[in-house]
Amino acid sequence: MTISGLGPHGERAAPPERIALLADDIAAARMGRFRVAIVLHTIASDWAKQQIAGIMATFGDCETAVIEVVDCGFAPEAQVAALDRLRGEKPDAIISIPVANSAVANAHRRVSQAGIRLLLLDNVPTGLLPGSDYVALVSADNFGLGTIAAAFLAKRLADGAAVGVLSYHAEFFATNEREIAFNKWMLTNRPDIRLHVRKFDSIQTAGTDALALLERHDDIVGFFVVWDTPAMEVVKALERAGHHLQVTTVDLGREAAINLASDGMICGIAAQQPYLQGVAVAQTCVLALLGRQTPDWVALPGLAVSSDNVVESFQKVWRKQAPREVLVSAKLVKDPSAS
Amino acid sequence: MVADRLATLSEIGLIVESELGIASGGRAPRLVRFRTDLGCVLVATLDQSALGVGIADLSGRLFTEHHEAIDLGADAASTLQRILALFDWLIAKHAPDMPVWGMAVSVPGPVSEGDEKPFMEKTPSFLPAWEDFPFVETLVDRFGAPVWLRSSIETMTMGERFAGAGQTARNMLFIKVGKRIGAGLIFDGRLYRGAQGASGLIGQMPVQAGDRASTLDALAGSDMIAREGLAAAQSGKSPLLADTLRRGGDVGAIEVSQAAQSGDPASMEILGISGRMIGHSVAMLANMLNPDLIILSGTMAQTNDLLLAAVRETVYGESHPLVTRDLIIAKSQMSSSAGLVGAAMVVVESLFEPGCLKDWIVHGTPLAHPVFLALRTSCATKRASITAEQDRPAIAP
Repeated sequence: MTISGLGPHGERAAPPERIALLADDIAAARMGRFRVAIVLHTIASDWAKQQIAGIMATFGDCETAVIEVVDCGFAPEAQVAALDRLRGEKPDAIISIPVANSAVANAHRRVSQAGIRLLLLDNVPTGLLPGSDYVALVSADNFGLGTIAAAFLAKRLADGAAVGVLSYHAEFFATNEREIAFNKWMLTNRPDIRLHVRKFDSIQTAGTDALALLERHDDIVGFFVVWDTPAMEVVKALERAGHHLQVTTVDLGREAAINLASDGMICGIAAQQPYLQGVAVAQTCVLALLGRQTPDWVALPGLAVSSDNVVESFQKVWRKQAPREVLVSAKLVKDPSAS
Repeated sequence: MVADRLATLSEIGLIVESELGIASGGRAPRLVRFRTDLGCVLVATLDQSALGVGIADLSGRLFTEHHEAIDLGADAASTLQRILALFDWLIAKHAPDMPVWGMAVSVPGPVSEGDEKPFMEKTPSFLPAWEDFPFVETLVDRFGAPVWLRSSIETMTMGERFAGAGQTARNMLFIKVGKRIGAGLIFDGRLYRGAQGASGLIGQMPVQAGDRASTLDALAGSDMIAREGLAAAQSGKSPLLADTLRRGGDVGAIEVSQAAQSGDPASMEILGISGRMIGHSVAMLANMLNPDLIILSGTMAQTNDLLLAAVRETVYGESHPLVTRDLIIAKSQMSSSAGLVGAAMVVVESLFEPGCLKDWIVHGTPLAHPVFLALRTSCATKRASITAEQDRPAIAP
């Protein structure tokens, strides 16, 4: 699958094959005995856990030690404090997801200025440049994810329908790309559709924001929410208010997968591949530590997940068995409550 | 006198007092600074295959940027609609309550107008397919702010000068390698545009490769790299590119460039030829201009090190020792962001150019500049002739 988006500075994506580790690289990395720290927005989500698993597996093969995994709890000040503290630990590299834009930009810059290799996941604060401020960005093709979600929803929309777009208020490369791509796809392929955009500040308020948008535009028949956890808040809020609308989103979280499989409001999901993203960022990190040339932006394609392929997609994305509820809905196991 | 002027500026709201300065005996001075949040600047970069947009404050600092693939060969109206939609999105996200003070768009070719008057009055000729298309007029009418068009090489040079490797350079040569090869020149700290805004078209310089004589564009640009790469793939001279072709992949200049970086001998040879050809031309410029810094940019330069190495080898070998004594030759790290940052700086420099500033400063906003007010009226009239399709209200992107 091709990458449809461009990077944060207009870069063309390098495929993950470009940063594959050769036997020589792994041998050299083992000799290097590198130390790496990881700073994530959260370590509680399935997505973060899978990324960490991919990173750990790759670093394990290369005998590269992960000295700390920091959970910033989505808080810019916590991330700044963590990065400043970790600089004192002098790791060879830090892998980070910048949780904000300008608020965390200088803290990331200071990491590189201290001679520590900085690898970014999913987001680049505006103004930071590859090569001088960080080594590379590794992310999903977020533009592609937005177009997958739009195509799913479009199939369920009558001519001239109205759609609510719930975008994330914070400045974040990944969610910006998804929103722009969704809207562009609709504008290009379904110009009859009317889009109503509202920003949400946090996962907890997404449901309230959806209802507020619906109150203002009561002809809305579907929503696009830029990732799955707020999307499920939207689904729950709509259920409580007695609505049954079509919802598409990004990321195959457990709850979203169960809802999709059981013909709930979720009508399609554009899924990232967090384990493979973890592998890709660890490989890029090792190559950078060995002094090899690395691309500015490595992107992984998204998966289009419908109720027809949710079981195998779940296994592919999460590398584990799909939830029992999904298997029951797919009629792959018996429903225990039916007997 | 100074206190009076500052009091006036403060009253108009253009400056604010900031922190205390360092005392040199007596009371510490109170510093004042210009308010960079009074308005915002919208910027876009247009090239053959990509559109970039951004929004900046009045210091030229970008709040955010976005890049996406486009086909500039498509009709001008659809490209304009895309820019309008993305500008609307940027305003809604970052500056819903901030007036737009100016816009700048970089375009693939030279822009011959723009220096004579404070504001651009009509769309200059920059691409055959955009001839007579009211691009500038629509933007002025839609967002109520002045527009500047510059060539992409000019905005990228400005971006590199203000936010990239050129921040400390007084004299810089910026070389962009793509389908066309162009040069931007920072001369004594300022962008040199030439008499018609067409300086730096070095791709037109005649060069010779073996028994072939043509322009630098034709013999060293990305079309040559793609063509030679495809031939190497088809003949089997490059096993790596042949494999790409066998798997149904495209072999273009980027693939050749990446293959060269991976050590593919045939691709390395192609990049080496291109780099040495460019190096010959750059060495001539370096001997004439004696720059502090030469920056190589464009996808070809940024996806591999071989082009840079070949240019360095040639320039160092063919230049006077004094010219190369402290000369730095590096590749840009800013990618397409350079064009956006540079476009923002075009707006900021133009608005605050003393000749323009004196006519609006008492009004507190350049949007009240008498010449611009007249321009808005004429743009609105011209825009009335735009098709209904172009008049459709922009939707969030």
